[in-house]
Amino acid sequence: MKRQRLILVAAAAGLTAAALTLGGVLHDSSSASPTAVVVQGPPASAGAQVSPGDTPALVARLQATLRGNPNDVTALDSLGLAYQQSARETGDPTYYTKSDEALHRELALAPRDLIATSGLGSLALSRHRFREALVLGRRAHAISPTTARNYGVIGDALVELGRYQAAFKTFNTMASIQPGLSSYARISHARQLLGDVPGAISAMKLAVEAGDGQGEADAWTHVQLGLIYLSVGRFKAAAAEDRQALFAFPDYAYALDALARAEAGMGHHRSAIRFEQQAVNRIPLPQYVSTLGDLYGATGHPRLAQKQYELIGVIQRLLVANGVKTDLETALFNVDHGIRLHASLALARLAWRERPSIDGDDVLAWALERTGHCGEALRYSKRALRLGTLDALKFFHRGMIEGCLGRRTAQHAWLVRALRLNPQFSILWAPVARRELR
Amino acid sequence: MKRLAVLVVVAAALLAPAAASAHPLGNFTINRFSRVEVSGHQLYVRYVLDMAEIPTFQAGHIDARAYARRIARNAELVVDGKAVPLVPLGTALAHPPGAAGLRTTRLEVILAGPTLSRKVSISYQDNNYKDRIGWKEIVVGPKARSTSDELRAYPKNLLQSPLDITSVKTQLAPTGGPDVPPALSSGKTLEAPDRVADAGFSKLIGRHHLSALVILASLAAAFFWGMAHALSPGHGKTIVAAYLVGRRGTPWHAAALGAIVTATHTIGVFALGLVTLALSAFIVPEQLYPWLNLISGVLVVAIGATVFRSRFRHRGHTHDHDHHHEHEAPSRGSLVAVGITGGLLPCPSALVVLLAAISLHRVAFGMLLIVAFSAGLALSITGIGLVAVYAKRVFKRASFEGRLVRLLPAASALVILAAGLAMTARALPKVH
Repeated sequence: MKRQRLILVAAAAGLTAAALTLGGVLHDSSSASPTAVVVQGPPASAGAQVSPGDTPALVARLQATLRGNPNDVTALDSLGLAYQQSARETGDPTYYTKSDEALHRELALAPRDLIATSGLGSLALSRHRFREALVLGRRAHAISPTTARNYGVIGDALVELGRYQAAFKTFNTMASIQPGLSSYARISHARQLLGDVPGAISAMKLAVEAGDGQGEADAWTHVQLGLIYLSVGRFKAAAAEDRQALFAFPDYAYALDALARAEAGMGHHRSAIRFEQQAVNRIPLPQYVSTLGDLYGATGHPRLAQKQYELIGVIQRLLVANGVKTDLETALFNVDHGIRLHASLALARLAWRERPSIDGDDVLAWALERTGHCGEALRYSKRALRLGTLDALKFFHRGMIEGCLGRRTAQHAWLVRALRLNPQFSILWAPVARRELR
Repeated sequence: MKRLAVLVVVAAALLAPAAASAHPLGNFTINRFSRVEVSGHQLYVRYVLDMAEIPTFQAGHIDARAYARRIARNAELVVDGKAVPLVPLGTALAHPPGAAGLRTTRLEVILAGPTLSRKVSISYQDNNYKDRIGWKEIVVGPKARSTSDELRAYPKNLLQSPLDITSVKTQLAPTGGPDVPPALSSGKTLEAPDRVADAGFSKLIGRHHLSALVILASLAAAFFWGMAHALSPGHGKTIVAAYLVGRRGTPWHAAALGAIVTATHTIGVFALGLVTLALSAFIVPEQLYPWLNLISGVLVVAIGATVFRSRFRHRGHTHDHDHHHEHEAPSRGSLVAVGITGGLLPCPSALVVLLAAISLHRVAFGMLLIVAFSAGLALSITGIGLVAVYAKRVFKRASFEGRLVRLLPAASALVILAAGLAMTARALPKVH
């Protein structure tokens, strides 16, 4: 009995580590740019005790334990994190509510609990409440200054809040305390933000190797590596990584979406549509639905495209009804598709305040350009590119802004840069860039 | 205790406004339920499909019979090792309202299987909507309990994960009775009862199109909502009433109090909204609530003490009752203080409305709604105040002149004091 319980706790602890550091990936890649994948999420070196793919089993066992003893603090902790992992694996957001409930109940029993505090931090990241995540991460850090994963929560929040120097320092500390999958992946993202693509690739490869070859955490690293390849137009390599991810974890929505975009880059629109449809079936994230609509539009199905865009309107209404802060992705979608441009500019400003990262800068710059405020747009575009990130979509936005200001040479140079980096950087805009250059 | 409950709700609203979600299992689930049963010699499957807002929208117009045929095709029944087709007998379709004015779907289908002449082994597998997440449940037998009450009431228990049962193997035999196909639901039972529309006030902002009529109707609704809300726990009704009694308030004072409550509440919501948007870098807004609670608690204690002291002094000085209106009438300062305690604690649903309005770029509309809401709140409080004032006059006129009426103001001062102390005591442990 005792021994069995020990195993359960060990398994829970391993999964806990994974869930904690992975937490937040679910909202994932802002469609702002394929490269600028939201950083939170690299998994921790999951303990060897956790056999891959047994989250449902673990959840069931923890539930059983808690039915016997509702105030079992360790089990509550683990269950809260296991629910977060379930949300990542199934895409079902109701697990977040359950996780929230479990962790809060735990905190009521043990107010200064490390795992519950940092667990709520990673939950806040998943829900795009970055400032709250930062507060919680720091609180957890104060409880235990030597725990590596707290640095992950803090650093991820800092990245989203645009405080890069502090974030990179945090990641460095994290990597020195605990080298492993989760810190390698974060180093990779930092390098990517700084425009060091080869460095980012090699760090993410280390992260892939640090995984034990199976499960959701492993699939996640493959998808991340694939997204780096995608950002520089290496579609074949990207697709290969995405397929590996799907092999490690079938029906993985993030992998399906990334694979669809890689296929689209290679010009395989039919299979791109198929994969994106599967991703949407799994989790109807607005950016997936938007990509699907763009794919339909690009293949001459305007009515099917329109239907997807209408669905995004519905999803946005639901998000608002559910009290979700309207997001950068929403603003970008509206701006990209010319929907209520002036309202969308206001939305972009609001989103920027919530998330003043380079993605926030870029979306705001683009919204300003589309509404003719090109002087202000240039200021934000410069901010968006201040780290030297290699991101074709951001280059394209800059080119259009320069054009709007009447600087033809600069426009030409930026558009060429965008297309050289990734000739298919966007289903919607790569053709526009080519047309402008003609 | 009630105040505590309100606080909890407040904290919850701030922490996880996701609570208003309409489909209990999330907005994009497709949920499936099958009941395999035998009646007489005939095998039946009662199939229920429950789609949340997003899949319902994706489906567009739903042809119940076409859906029934497809469901029948994808439900595999094997009897004694042989695949047997299922045939749809009847359907019932409803679209219970969901969040943000969207619809959800509940479709019930009765499927008929083979006739059984003896005990057979059966394997049933539901392959419908394989790649969609949701509740998947299969039960066997007409009396078997369904955890979700046939997708009508999903367990909200923390320890219950969504069921994931897509196949079942069992043995079934013909029953003695006559062959009666399972019944379809209708009316209220068909409309899944646990589908909660979003909470009244917050819903107003989510409307899609705004015509003048809708705006007027929304304002009226917000006003009445505010009136009703004032009658829920909190909002210092007791204090307002007790204060007016203790201080010989006039109807005029009651009206002024109402106005002050409106102003404070409106400003409070706007201010907290601003704080939530602008200062969230430094504080998590839910941490503000205990402080606001503490401030209003202390304020109430101060007011109670002032009223009590003046009463006491007055009694010590003179034994005259009617020539001291000047002394006893509420001073402007204390009137404002009482009004502030009534409106200081912004109502969470008002805050949610404001934030939603900002995100939808209907800031002006949102502000208007909140003003209307606060005005409703004030009207109720003024009404209570007036009742208190007139009730006291009636007492006087009936010339109860004596102990009771003379004691009333002192007693009301004590009521205020006690309420304030209770509020403070409750707020204190939460402040850190």
